[in-house]
Amino acid sequence: MRRIMGKRKQAAAVFCLLTAGMTALAAPAMAAPVEKYLHVNVDDPRNGETVNVNVPLSLAEKVLPTINNEKLHDGKVLIHRAEMNGVDVRALMDAVRTAPDNEFVTVKDKDSDVRVAKANGNIIVHVIDKKNKEEKVDVTVPLKIVDALFSTAKNDELDVEAALHALSDAGDILLVTVQDSGQKVRVWVDSKNTQE
Amino acid sequence: MILLAKIALGMAGMAVVGAGALCSEGLVHVRVIEKQPGGAHINVIAPAIIAPIAMHFAPRRHRAEAIRQIQPYMPAARAALEGLRDADDVVLVEVKGPGEHVRVAKWGGSIVIDVDDADETVHVSTPIRAVSSTVEQLAAVDSD
Repeated sequence: MRRIMGKRKQAAAVFCLLTAGMTALAAPAMAAPVEKYLHVNVDDPRNGETVNVNVPLSLAEKVLPTINNEKLHDGKVLIHRAEMNGVDVRALMDAVRTAPDNEFVTVKDKDSDVRVAKANGNIIVHVIDKKNKEEKVDVTVPLKIVDALFSTAKNDELDVEAALHALSDAGDILLVTVQDSGQKVRVWVDSKNTQE
Repeated sequence: MILLAKIALGMAGMAVVGAGALCSEGLVHVRVIEKQPGGAHINVIAPAIIAPIAMHFAPRRHRAEAIRQIQPYMPAARAALEGLRDADDVVLVEVKGPGEHVRVAKWGGSIVIDVDDADETVHVSTPIRAVSSTVEQLAAVDSD
């Protein structure tokens, strides 16, 4: 009888351990999605000024559709057809998406160097102002974000809300850096609520 | 004697319940310190519940004007407050310059604004729930 009781206790202990183990394994999967933050940092060492902005992407996603002004409606931005200069941007993006990693545009003139490339699922734009060699602009946009921007049915709209949603699903990424002789601007997304 | 004790206990209970009700929406804290010699030191801590109530005592003309001004931004304000309520604590905006420091943060269910410059130090802390209640009261007054 005592032996049977001992076996039952052992079985109960094993069951408890299994349950605890499964719960521990399942907890991360059941946890709430990690909040992502859009960070903007403007550093102006010449004037001793810094501006830091940290916006939870979920907050931006909630607020954006409620703002309606001339060109922004329901989280979508209207683009005048003239601004497209007759370019079928959707067809262009399709072509870029299916193309292998490559440098698509290289413009070098006496004033500036411009480079547009696709690498690791991102569209990368580099601009260097030759007149003032300290002026540089680097833009990195994941193709997923571009796809989200053009996910609306209308040709003359950009779906910014969808792009924000795609950003929150994407990994940590440095989107924009602009540097000139006096200021440095950085825009990035990560899961930290501070800029440290 | 026992009757007096019961009355005192009842009054103390009412005071506790009253204080609890008053503080149910949190506390608004405003602190202003003027840095010049003899400058004012203002420190106000008030129950946030009085904000939506006090709104009803504002002159009708001024209230109508406030509602007219805030109306276009009401959906955005509602969404922002809802988003802030759900968000983790975060410094939303921080500006540092020579002799000045401005910080707007969401901290423990409140919107906290700190300004420190050459002339004064200002600290304002307002519970998000109280701001939401006030906005909803404004909307309700408008729909009446």
